[in-house]
Amino acid sequence: MNMIPDDAIERLLEGCQTIAKQCELQGIQEWEIVASQGYGRSLDIEAGRISLASGGGEGGFGVRVLQGGRYGYAHLVDPSGAEHAVSEASSIAKASPKIEGFSLPNAMNTTPIDGMMDEAILNLSAEDLLMQGDDIISEVASIDKRAVVIGGGVGIGAEAGVMVSSEGVEASGITTSHGLGVQVSIEENGQMTSSWESSSSRKLMTGIPDCVPLAVEWATKTRDPITVENQPLDTPILMTPQGISSLFSNIIRPSILGERMVRKESFWSEKMNQQVLDSHLTLLDNRRMEGGFSSSSRDGEGVPTSCHTIVENGVLRKMIWSTRDAAKNVAEGRITEAESTGSASRGSHMSPPTTGCGDVQLLSSNKPQSREELIETMDEGYIVHSVMGAHTANPTSGDFSVTTSTILRVENGEIRGALKQAGVSGNLFRAISNGVHLGHQSNVNGVSNTGSNHLSDILFTQGMRINPA
Amino acid sequence: MVIQSQHPTDHARSTKYLDRTRMNNALEQALDFGATYAEIRLMAETTSSVRLKDGQLEHAIPGQEIGATLRILADGAWGVHSTTDISNIPNEIESTVKLARAVAARRPTGSKPIGLAEIPVLQDEMHWRSKKDVRNTDLQTKLDMLQTIHASADDDDRIISVACGWSDEHLHTELLTTEGMDRTWSFQRSMVNGMVTARDGGDPVSYRMRHGGEGGLELIEACDLGGLGEHARISALRLLKAERAPSGKLPLIADRDLTGVYIHEALGHPCEADLVAAGDSCLDGKLGQKIGNDIVTVVDDPTMRGGYGAYPIDDEGLDTREKTLIKNGILTDYLNHRETAHHFGIEPNAGARAQDGLHHPLVRMSNTMIMGGSFTDIDELAEDIQYGVYACGSRGGQVDTGRGSFQFAAQEAYLIENGEITTPLRDVSVSGLTLQILNDVDGLTKDARLASPGFCGKGQTVPVGDGGPIMRIREALVG
Repeated sequence: MNMIPDDAIERLLEGCQTIAKQCELQGIQEWEIVASQGYGRSLDIEAGRISLASGGGEGGFGVRVLQGGRYGYAHLVDPSGAEHAVSEASSIAKASPKIEGFSLPNAMNTTPIDGMMDEAILNLSAEDLLMQGDDIISEVASIDKRAVVIGGGVGIGAEAGVMVSSEGVEASGITTSHGLGVQVSIEENGQMTSSWESSSSRKLMTGIPDCVPLAVEWATKTRDPITVENQPLDTPILMTPQGISSLFSNIIRPSILGERMVRKESFWSEKMNQQVLDSHLTLLDNRRMEGGFSSSSRDGEGVPTSCHTIVENGVLRKMIWSTRDAAKNVAEGRITEAESTGSASRGSHMSPPTTGCGDVQLLSSNKPQSREELIETMDEGYIVHSVMGAHTANPTSGDFSVTTSTILRVENGEIRGALKQAGVSGNLFRAISNGVHLGHQSNVNGVSNTGSNHLSDILFTQGMRINPA
Repeated sequence: MVIQSQHPTDHARSTKYLDRTRMNNALEQALDFGATYAEIRLMAETTSSVRLKDGQLEHAIPGQEIGATLRILADGAWGVHSTTDISNIPNEIESTVKLARAVAARRPTGSKPIGLAEIPVLQDEMHWRSKKDVRNTDLQTKLDMLQTIHASADDDDRIISVACGWSDEHLHTELLTTEGMDRTWSFQRSMVNGMVTARDGGDPVSYRMRHGGEGGLELIEACDLGGLGEHARISALRLLKAERAPSGKLPLIADRDLTGVYIHEALGHPCEADLVAAGDSCLDGKLGQKIGNDIVTVVDDPTMRGGYGAYPIDDEGLDTREKTLIKNGILTDYLNHRETAHHFGIEPNAGARAQDGLHHPLVRMSNTMIMGGSFTDIDELAEDIQYGVYACGSRGGQVDTGRGSFQFAAQEAYLIENGEITTPLRDVSVSGLTLQILNDVDGLTKDARLASPGFCGKGQTVPVGDGGPIMRIREALVG
């Protein structure tokens, strides 16, 4: 049974046409309508068993109107409310400031991106999904009989999306996703350790994804903590992809947005063509990655997407823009010239497009090292696998102070044991600007509907501090 | 109670979205298919958000959203279907019963089937009317208020950016169950927020502000918006000159905002009975045990009108009530919904909340507070501290409920030296272990009240209120 109705796109187009007709009836000069309808199945795991299974669908419409450089937005679930929604968007446009030079993008040719939909997901039944849940629970117990999946779940989704505009954009498509997360705990002799791991893909993940044994591994590795000197220490830290991803999302990703750059809200403001990363590092913002979570042939405004080199060999080369943000900041004189980089993102139909990162990759021109080699290079320091409180980091300054319970002490190039808890602090912009070594794993972390991070192990040799509890 | 209800509770009839006859027939059908319990919960939301950037309207977004969730218990397991296509719900009954049964068939030997604690079955309406219905507030009024914040926040050359936001929502919920429950309730929330960014040649710094709660326009009108912007400006400018915080185990004084976040993260989450039942709480098996200092009493209270986490009826149809989680250091209650109350054999206490109509209810906090103590003010708390930190304003927090470790971060802080509050500090965070640090709370001021509104994520995001008095912790890990 197909998870998504055969006529899902047609139904959305019909709704868009109803709203478009209202725009024309109300004399709107330029309009843009997006629609999405998602369908999904999921299951929750608690206390070593599947506790709940669910399914369903949700969606809606968003309409952006533009009158003489002034724009308004409204969203709705039922197209029968189009007259009211368009009228509200129009009245908001009248109250909005005029942005000189802002008009909706014209239709431009683009090419599709592979790997965005997997028929196998569309055809996966609820029973198939439950069986995958069974397999995960069994696998964890088979790796370590003390280990239990105490939380998490599995989900699949399919989303039909449509965009139409007065400027001739008419785009539609279906994407799929498969996500899995497990919280594995080991409780024995009054000691409880746990680890959360997750995997996501646009394709069906068959078998047991690597994140499942990894969760057991870290719940095991962090048992029987050792004692170290209880003093703050500036020290090298090896962050696993899971450890660095949330800090990367909260600090690095916002810093490349054009508007933050020109408003001097980014640490990298006024540093164009200057070195901001270690000289062997390159940072890509890629919206055309095969099967990428941000990938689409067009961005949230209908502009064709690209892969942008933001930082090349350590030197800042580019910032990213949506059509509207580019026009606004040029009109306000914050920058002399800017145009869309195909980087408009939408959280959902409920929000207008804003500039956002896509799938972000951090690459090195140096030969990548294995984790063992990185540990050897580090000699003395710590390995951090996950942090709590990354959302409290300061995206403007890059300062952070977080907590970890998955931390290993390294001495003489070897892992000595785990700490129960420690604070990790520093400034990510400074730490990543020099003395950085990358591993050769490249995991997908921090998946969201506006893209994910593709990071490897990162060894920071400066700018980091550990504060053992 | 710190915030008392001043609002009339209105029981007048309202417009209904669910077709009672059709939906009750569908629920009956679920029983025919073998379900032991079924419910349909619908939520209709009327929302508005406005954002002002550097004094100019960035966007204003009015929205109407609706969703419903069908939840079916069969053979002791849940099947759920959520949709924006309300009229199609009756067509999903059979498949959702089958889904529940498929889950039940996988229940491990010896594992208890899910049951539900009994609650009163009511057919009524409850509407918490705002004094000034926020749906009637026009865009210009919202813009004028945000401009007031902007003007006072922007009043210095070193301020490089001010962003101000408005959000409000009117929430209408209907719940029908096979037990005969037919309840409808509604209420509103309103909030203003902002972020000030400052730079003075060096690195930029930022400071966030929020004000709001359950209620309508009157909540925002009652706020000194100019003062809110001024406070943010002064704080941001102070951060420009602030020094990096010392690291290590130090005495800590937390203001109301941070006290609230601390108690939310360190105690509130581990008290959620669904986590306890799943084996993911450090408070498992500790009901009735001493887990904190005698001076620590903690309540979670959704009836606290005006708090951002207030609601009249929980998402399983139970009237809300105050829960005392810790009384004089003794763990007295978990936060429950019907399933966990049945699991533990205790009274349900209206802790079931869903993010919206498209999500099923989880056990969640509402307005969570430490109650006041005996100290007069911060000066009295600080006078015995030779070297410590006074941390103010929240940048959020996080907890590992199973391990019992938590972290929260302050917006700004100060050194305490020889009992005096001295040098401003930046980017201070605090971490610790729940079962240790509750014993290390050794001073609370008398005046407890809710602080800034917040949001809590647990797979679903819900608004919450946190707060308390100014709190002193004997020793905390500061970084």
